[in-house]
This record gives sequence, structure tokens and C-alpha cells, in this order.
Amino acid sequence: MTRFRRRVPKRSRVHPLRTAAAVVGCALLAACAQRDIPPEAALAAHWPILDGYCADCHNDTEYAAEFSFDAAEPADIAADPETWEKVVRKLRGDLMPPPGGPRPDAERVDAFVASLGDALDAAAAIRGPMPGHVSPHRLNRTEYARAIEDLFGFRIDAAALLPNDIASEGFDNIAEVLGVSPTHLDQYLAAARDISIRAVGEAVPELTRAYYRSERENRTMHVAGLPLGTRGGLAVGHYFPADGEYDISLNISSIPGAELRGYPYGWLEYRHRLVVTIDGIKVFEDFIGGEEDSRTLDQEQIQGVERIRDRFRNIRVSVKAGQRNVAASFIARSLAEGDYLLQSLTPGEGVPDVPRLYGLEIIGPYNATGIGESTVSRDRIFVCYPREQGAERPCAREIFANLATRAFRRPVDAADIDPLLGFYDAGRNDGDFEAGIQKGVMALLASTKFLYRAEPGDAPAGPDAASAYAVSDLELAWRLAFFIWSQGPDETLLELAEQGRLGDPDVLEAQAGRMLADRRSSSLVTNFAFQWLAVRRVEMIDPDPRLYPNFDEDLRSAFREEMALFLDSILREERSVLDLLTANHTFVNERLARHYGIDTVRGDRFRRVELADSRRFGLFGKASILMVTSYPDRTSPVLRGAWIMEHILATPPASVPAGVETDLTPAPGDIPRTVRERLARHRTEPSCNHCHGVIDPLGQALENFNVIGEWRTHERDNGLPIDSSGTLAGGMPVNDPEELRRALTAEPELFVQALAEKLMTYALGRGLEYYDMPSVRAIVADAAAAGYSFDSLVLGIARSEAFRMRAVPEPDAEDALQARGD
Amino acid sequence: MFITKKHLSRRTLLQAGGASIGLPLLSAMVPAATALAQTAAAPRPRMGFFYLPHGAIMDNTRFGAEMNRWTPDIEGRDFDFKPILEPLAPHRDHLTVVSGLGNKPAESSAVHAIVPATWLSCEHPRQSHAPFAGVTVDQIAAAHIGQDTPLPSLELATEEEGGGAACDGTYGCSYGRTISFRAPTTPMPMEYEPRKAFEKIFGRGKTPEQRSEVANDYRSLLDMVAGEAADLKRKLGPADRILVDDYLESVREIERRIELLGQRDLSAVALPEIPVARPDFDDLIRLMHDLVVAAFQANMTRIVSIMLAAEVSNQPYTHVGIPDAFHPLSHHAENKGSMEKLVVVQRYHSQVFADFLAKLAAIPDGDGGSILDNSILLYGSNMSNSNSHNNFPLPTLIAGRGSGTIEGNRHLRYPDRTPLANLLLTLLKRAGVPAESVGDSSGELTEV
Repeated sequence: MTRFRRRVPKRSRVHPLRTAAAVVGCALLAACAQRDIPPEAALAAHWPILDGYCADCHNDTEYAAEFSFDAAEPADIAADPETWEKVVRKLRGDLMPPPGGPRPDAERVDAFVASLGDALDAAAAIRGPMPGHVSPHRLNRTEYARAIEDLFGFRIDAAALLPNDIASEGFDNIAEVLGVSPTHLDQYLAAARDISIRAVGEAVPELTRAYYRSERENRTMHVAGLPLGTRGGLAVGHYFPADGEYDISLNISSIPGAELRGYPYGWLEYRHRLVVTIDGIKVFEDFIGGEEDSRTLDQEQIQGVERIRDRFRNIRVSVKAGQRNVAASFIARSLAEGDYLLQSLTPGEGVPDVPRLYGLEIIGPYNATGIGESTVSRDRIFVCYPREQGAERPCAREIFANLATRAFRRPVDAADIDPLLGFYDAGRNDGDFEAGIQKGVMALLASTKFLYRAEPGDAPAGPDAASAYAVSDLELAWRLAFFIWSQGPDETLLELAEQGRLGDPDVLEAQAGRMLADRRSSSLVTNFAFQWLAVRRVEMIDPDPRLYPNFDEDLRSAFREEMALFLDSILREERSVLDLLTANHTFVNERLARHYGIDTVRGDRFRRVELADSRRFGLFGKASILMVTSYPDRTSPVLRGAWIMEHILATPPASVPAGVETDLTPAPGDIPRTVRERLARHRTEPSCNHCHGVIDPLGQALENFNVIGEWRTHERDNGLPIDSSGTLAGGMPVNDPEELRRALTAEPELFVQALAEKLMTYALGRGLEYYDMPSVRAIVADAAAAGYSFDSLVLGIARSEAFRMRAVPEPDAEDALQARGD
Repeated sequence: MFITKKHLSRRTLLQAGGASIGLPLLSAMVPAATALAQTAAAPRPRMGFFYLPHGAIMDNTRFGAEMNRWTPDIEGRDFDFKPILEPLAPHRDHLTVVSGLGNKPAESSAVHAIVPATWLSCEHPRQSHAPFAGVTVDQIAAAHIGQDTPLPSLELATEEEGGGAACDGTYGCSYGRTISFRAPTTPMPMEYEPRKAFEKIFGRGKTPEQRSEVANDYRSLLDMVAGEAADLKRKLGPADRILVDDYLESVREIERRIELLGQRDLSAVALPEIPVARPDFDDLIRLMHDLVVAAFQANMTRIVSIMLAAEVSNQPYTHVGIPDAFHPLSHHAENKGSMEKLVVVQRYHSQVFADFLAKLAAIPDGDGGSILDNSILLYGSNMSNSNSHNNFPLPTLIAGRGSGTIEGNRHLRYPDRTPLANLLLTLLKRAGVPAESVGDSSGELTEV
């Protein structure tokens, strides 16, 4: 039997609970290999399915997908689990046999799949652990920023300091692709130097400029972090390097990115009050707009605008060193005056209605007078301070020992500290004690010990050594912390690791539980779940303003906020993860409530509401999901169907095979009138229907939701009614979001397994392989007993062999080279 | 400065020729060591690619030749200058205007989103959000003639990004924000902050003393991390050693840059002053050009690509009396008034380019010539009529004489829709870059 060449779409439809439980129970008990009926014998009963429905194409002659069943035997399974896991996926996902042809009854397929899983799990139990291989992790941008905040108590602008990370498998923490290009290294060195200077502080820092944008922020709603009673604006955490004076400039316009954009300046017609605060204390207040400004504008045109703007430039303020919250915003007027609902009247342009803050610049310090009071970072660095020269080096050693323990996430010894002291000595020679400390901190942050999680314990050596071994307690602590918190372990974890107790399953479980309860686990929502569902893309789609004039940045941020709160309410409240698909609650403010047709919500605050409209239940009714699965100007059942397959079922459709006609351009005069008609060609061409027969009906069921997630019954352009009916590949008719939801939750382990696979990918920082699937099935079965809570999936993964173990690397020629030494 | 003895010897080896060190010898080191001696003796051409978004007003509107503000009427020598190109008249002897070119691979329903990335590749990109595009000629050139300078190539812009149409539902955002691809999946980001651009070219720090201090810091850090990585490598399995090798290769690349940078004598180079506050557009675009002049003069790089405005730019041109934003204005609706405003914008860009050429012409380079003499600078757009978003006829000109390989003072007219790729291929060859084809090229333009 030959193996598939192409990467095969993962995942599936499938088997009833009882068989699933049996399969997994089997994986847990290696004894099942010795049951009365050997798995191969049980499988033999299902073998006619392969002959009857698969071998027409997958035979030695046709050799579809370079794959033949002609010589396949049940006994092959143990020898080639990789191929048979693919068979399981294809069958579970109803991807095969292809839609349009004859297919066996669902019950027969389910029983076959169960039996295959049984055999695969039994084979895995005999084979022994295969935990797979994870490369040393480089901290990604998110993790780096969290580590810095943990070390020094200030936030850095990671996007400005560090290069973007490549994502793979849908996540940006996949070790294999987190490489280091020269650009990366250059920026890491620069970041190490900049951050060390900031952390230690300078009496008279260079003049620097920081610019903050609010392009994606709203203009009519209250913004989190700003004083109540304000509208729009932005709040930023800015680090003031020394006591001194700083110039703050505000960029005000009504359209982002075009501050001098032509006429009319209608938004200057009324007076708006603008305030700037630092740590909540008002440092500036002025009006913009109104009669006088309108007159200036009338008489002086562009130059007049400049004069008006000058009032909001170079606002000189005195600030003490440290991290401060700088906020600028407009005082909200009553809604009756109509900041709201002034919608665009000109297609694609919009009417400038109210002024909006889209940028804030801070330049300084001028007349710096040093650092009067201490800063958080200095407090954390200077755990001692020498009174005499003789005490300097011992103190430096103490400082670095303290910092390195946290930065390197482990106990440190002289080999870790001495290089830092080397940098200290060089800095001390050229300057003073603090200059030396700064150089040492710089070296600490540039070190690969900080940047990488790479401390594999020594693998057992010798030809008889097992193929896998348990990772050290220390590494287990790291894995757990980066999984649940996206940052290094805390003292409790490190202590347990040091005592060698973390490997104890009860301790591990208790710690995972503690960490999930900690607020730091919110990274599982913002970091894991947002990536899993691809909803970060909500920032990248600009719906066509001519078609969706109601869409604006307020709505975009409401979409994002709703999703964050909704995910949090299910993932972090120990509810069944199936509630993600079915929950009858969501979180809205007035703007989003109106968008959803709920008219009982007032104000900008988000609150939990019970949904009366069942079409809005779960993820499929959320505007953010519906928007990231659309084009800017039209919906796409293909995108939505593919999104469901990839993110909800973990069986992404294959890309279009080479040689298949993909040109759907209609004949002249035969213009399709609806999206459905456009896709009709997918049905009539068998080569299209093989995949689109699976993809399209899933997305078609959501066709009543438009690009920005509003419910519609008719096509906008031609008034034709929307037809969302379809039949899933497995034969189940689905005609609307509710039926889609029911179909996808009828066999709950489908979705749960998809989520478990995604979560495990994220937890391990590598793509899953065939040998992980027995673990996945076991985790899902265990979670079933715990009501499919998210916590039970996290725990299941933390207990899995892939998480706790490491494969012994296969030796190769390079080892010989390496043995000769450098 | 802190350097351990072991590492000091490693660097000494690196400078001496890079052989016989324990770590794998990687390609980046070889040109570093060998080419240094050659640089002064044999100046190689500089190449520059100056991308102006949104086309030009030429014989591409419903008014035909009546509204042509770009293309000379006269072919061959001593051609005439239409309003947009008029500011370049003083550089006639260094100019070659090329007419009749088109770029079919740039055509798509995503009218803006793939236009930048296809200008220098002439290859239609993959329909995906993850980038997959043709390698651009600036990067092909950088691989051949850019390896012995501290920066193989330099990518600059004047704005972070334009409006939303630079992205597309099908093609994503990867092809609308850069004109440079080093590999199909590696778009080169365009630096739009003058401070960061300066630091990328000349190193960090405002004074020579500061720059040398930073370089010393980096050297020590690189020594430390190289040692750490080598230690780490010993602990890892074969598959992971590749990661460490990549890391070490990056270490060497940065070391190489710092050493090359340290060897450059900048005393004769006018380093631009970078203001703390962000300059207004006119000052900024000139500052970016000054950085290019200084980078060429100091031989920091030979290859520059620059987006003179963002695709779908909302930049107003108030400084030349046009308060309209660039992109909305470029949708001129075949209205003569709007088109004449656009001509003012496009003429302004010619003026900036002309002033830049004047600076290059004033800097001696090699045997009696100037940097401009030894340069090949492509200036133009990958769009023609910004109202209909078509890609023929493309406004295109070449400045510089490519060390005598380009005659200058000519207007060449090729048959309609001659592939732009033919010109790109020709320019590569004139710069001494071995290339067989570029995108959809069908041959060379030998007359250039």
C-alpha cells in the first residue's frame, strides 16, 4: 500500500458516543489488545465497505490520490497507522466517498470508523509512547512582551520593537517556524539594549518621539481606560524615561489617515470639548469647532485649519518618570445631539460628522531633571545598592542572580551569572555602577537563555534506551506555563519543579487547575481561541462602505469585544465547550444590540444578555465570525463552509487540485443573480462537487447572514429571496443556522475532538501527527465524563504523553561530526 | 568592551578570511571577506526602483493625446518634455523615456492590491492571504551585486500604508504594501520611519561616538550569543541543530554588517539630520531621498526600492496647492479639472526625483564619473490610468547611464503592450546580473 502524498484534509463526522467510549477505553487499557476478539478480526467484518465504496478509485490501476486498497488487509493497520488515520479522517468527515456517488449507510461507516480507531489505539498501546518532537521554542512577540512586563513592570510596544512572527498550523507559537533571520536578530539586539536602558533609567535621556494611533478605535463610544462620560479618543500606556517636560500633540480629524483631507469640514460646525489626562489627572482642556472655528475655516481655508490644529499641538506638560496612562478624549454630548447614527450619505466616503482623535504624539523629555522617585523597574532591578565601591560587584552579582532566575525561568549558577558580570565590568569601567548594571541587563535580554525555551534534559543514551523519555520537571513547568499563561512559570511552579514533584500526576493536575483559575489564563481566550477561530482577522477586513454604510470602527470593536467576552464566558466558566456552538447568551452594548435587532440595551457598556432569537445562538450567530468568513463585498458559502471544516471540525478542505477547471466565469448573458446561482457550477461539475459538495452546504446554511452579520431574507441588489437550503455530505438536510447547529452537535465528540486537536497543537507548539491521534481520542473520551468542560481538555492535554515526554532524537551523520567537537 | 579570549580569536578568523573555524562556514561570510578588497577598485552600478502609485496622466484617457502630460512627442534623441516630466529636463543626458510598455500579470479584479508587488516581478501572485509572489528584480540584483555591502538592499517608503483597497479579500494585504519580494513567501517590508531607516543604514546612534558604542555593544552581545548557541547546539538533536545553525548564520550576518560598517569612512558623507518629530510629507520624501544619496555615497548598499507614496495613499499635497488626498483624486472620473490637479501631484514627484538626481550627479564615483553615471534608476508606475486601473501604457523612465551601458537622452517607443518585464530583464543585464528571464519577458530591449 502506498501512502498519500498530499496532505489530506483532517477530521470528520461521526461515531456515536458508546463506540467512542469503547475505542478510547481501549486506548487506556493496553489489555484490550488481548480481548477475545482481536481488532483485526472485528475489522474484517467491515472490510466489504472498502471493496464496495472505495476501491473503485483507490485501486492499483486508478490509483486515486496515489492510494490503493487492492492489497489492504486488516493486519496492515498496526504497520501503517499513518495511512489508516487518514482513512479514519476521511470517513469521519464524510469527505469520502465523494458526494454524488453511492455511499454506505451512516451506521455502517460509524461502526467501521469505530473499529478502525479501536485497532489503531490497540496498536498504539502496544507500540509504546511516541511523544513526537518539538524544536526549542523561541519566545514569540506576545510571549516576549509578557516576559518583559513580568521582569520590569512596564509594557513595551512589541509590534514596534520586534519583528512579526510567522504563523503555522493556525498559530503563531509553532516552534519549527519560529526562526531567527538577521532582521530578527538585529531587532532582538536593539530591543535588549533599548529595554535595558529604559529599565535602569537615565538621568538625561535623549529626546525621543512616540506616536500612538487609534485607527482601529471608535469615535462615538466610550473607550475602555478613558474617563466615564468621554467619547472616543485613546488611552495609552507610555513610559516617561525621566522627570521633565514633554510635548503632547493630538491629531484630530474625522477620517483616519487624512488629517488635511479636503472639504467640507462639517465636523467643525459644533463645539466639542477635548481633554487630556495623565494617570487620570487632567492636564489639558480646550474646545474644537463651533462658531469661531467655523469662521476661521471660512475665512482662511486650509491655513485656518492649521491654526485650529496648532492649539492641539505641542501641549507642554511636566511629568515624573515612569509608566503612565496618557489619555485624550472628547467629552460626550447627549445622544440627542446626534453623535450617533450620522451615517454616510456619500457612498464610500461618509460624511465627516464629529471630530475624532486618531493619533497622539509624545516628544520628550525637555529639561530633564533625572529620576526623582524610583520607578517600578528600578525597584525590581536594584534589590541592593552599594554604598561603597567594594560592595559594587557583590551587589551586581546579587542583582543579576535575581533577574536571571526570572528571565531564564530556572535556578541559575555561576555559568549563567559570570558572562553578565563580564558585561557589567566593561560598563563599570567606562562609566558608573548603574552603567555596568545596564550592560548586564542588556546581555541578559539578548541571551538565548532568555529568548529560547530550550533546556532538554539529557536523553537516556545507549542502543537499548527507550525511544522516548519524560521531560524534566523544569521543562514541564515551562510547558504548562506557556500553554496556560503564555509566559514563564511563577515561583510556585518553579519550586515544585525544583522539588521534583511536578511530574506527580496529582500535583500536575492541581497546578493546572490553579493556573486556569488565575487571571493570566485569559491568554487562552485572547491568544489561543482568537487564533483558533481566526477572528483576529476581524481587524483586517474592511466591508465595502458602499454596500455596508452602517459599518464603522465602533461596530468592529464591538464585534471583537463580544467575541472575547463570549469565549471567556464559556472557556473560563467550566461550561461544556459545546456551548460555544449552542449558547443562548451573548454580550452586547447598545450599538451591537441594535445591529442584532435587540432594542432593549442602552449605553456603551457591554453586558450579558439572553438571546430570544435562536438564530444568533453560539458562534455561528456572531458577527465577527460571519465577517471573517466573507469577502468585503459579498458573502461566500465557500469561505464559511471551509471555515467550519477547518476551525470547527478540524478537517480543512484540500486546496484545488492541479488540472481542475476553476474558472466559473459565466457565459455572457448568463450572469448569475445570486451567490447560490454562482455556486451552482460546483454541483454540476463532478471534479468540483467532490469537495464543494462537502463545503458549500455548510456555508449555504448561513447565507441569511450578510457580510457584517446582519440577518437578511432577500438579496440586496435584486430583491431575490435567499435560499439557504442544502444537504450535508452525510445526507442530512440543513436549511438554516439552527439546523446546521443541530447537525454539528448531534455527535458532540466531532467538535470536541476538533477543539482538542487545536488546543493540543497550541499547547505543544507543533502540528499534530498520526501518532497523536490515540491520545486525542482518549482526551476527548475523558472530557466526555467531565461534561466536555474546557478545563478537562486542558488537563487531558497536560497529562498526555506528548506533553509530558520527548522523543529521543534519531542519530544521524551530524552526530559523528559533533562528536569530534568544535 | 567585553570580549572573551576565545571569541576574540573567532572574530579574528572571521576577518582574516573565515576559514577553519569550528562552526559551519556559511555563505554570508565568504563574500564578506572576499569582496571587501574589490569594492573600491571596481565600482559596480547602483540600482534604484522608484515606484509612483496611481499611474500618470498620459495618452490614456478619453481625451487621447490632448491630455497627454507625460509621453514625449518626439522619439529618439532630443525629445520634448511634457509637463509631468519637465522638472527632469536638466538631466536629459541621463534620461531614457520608454513608451509602449504594459504589464499583463498586474491585471486583476483587485485593482490596487497586487499592483505594487507585480511591478518588479511581472508575475501574477497566488490568490492567497499568505504571500506567494514572484521574486522582484531588485532582489535578484541584490543577490548578485549587493552581497559585499553592509546591506544587500534597502527598501523605503514614505507612508506606512494607504487606504483599505491596498488589501483584497482574495489576495490579502501582502502584495499591496511592498514592491519587493526576496523569495515568493518573503515580502520585504518597506521602512517608512526616517529614524529607523537611518539606523538600518548607518547603525544606531546620533553621533559617530554613539554609533561606535552601539556597535561595540552589539559585538560583545554577538560573541556571547554565538557561544551560547554553540553550547545549545551540542545538546540538541540533529533536527534542532538546523534552527541553531540558522541562528548562528544570522549572528554572522550581523557581525558582517557591523564590521563592514566599521570599515566605512563616513567623513566625506553628508549624513542627513533626522528630526525628532515626524516631518511633513515634502520634508519626509526629500529626507528619504537624502538617505538614499548617503547610502549610495557611503557604499552601504547598491540596491534601493522605494514607494514614493503608499498604494491607495490618502496623502494630501497641500504643499503644492492640492489639498485633495492622492488616491481619491486619482479617481479623476475623466474630468479634466481633476486630471490637471493630478498632473500637479505627479509633476511634484518628478521635481523631487530631479533634485535627487542632481545630488547623485554631484558626487564623484570611480574614474571621473558621478554616482548618477554609474546608476540605473527605474522611475514609474505599474498602473496607467488611475481611473480605470489599467496597466497599459505604463509611465516609465530610466535615469542614469549604468556605468556606460545606457546611452541616455532618448525616448524609445516600443510596440503597444511590450512586456515591462523585457525592460526589467534588460536593466538587470546592464547591471551585470546574469538573468535569463523575468516574469513574462519575451526578450530584451536592446535599444535601451
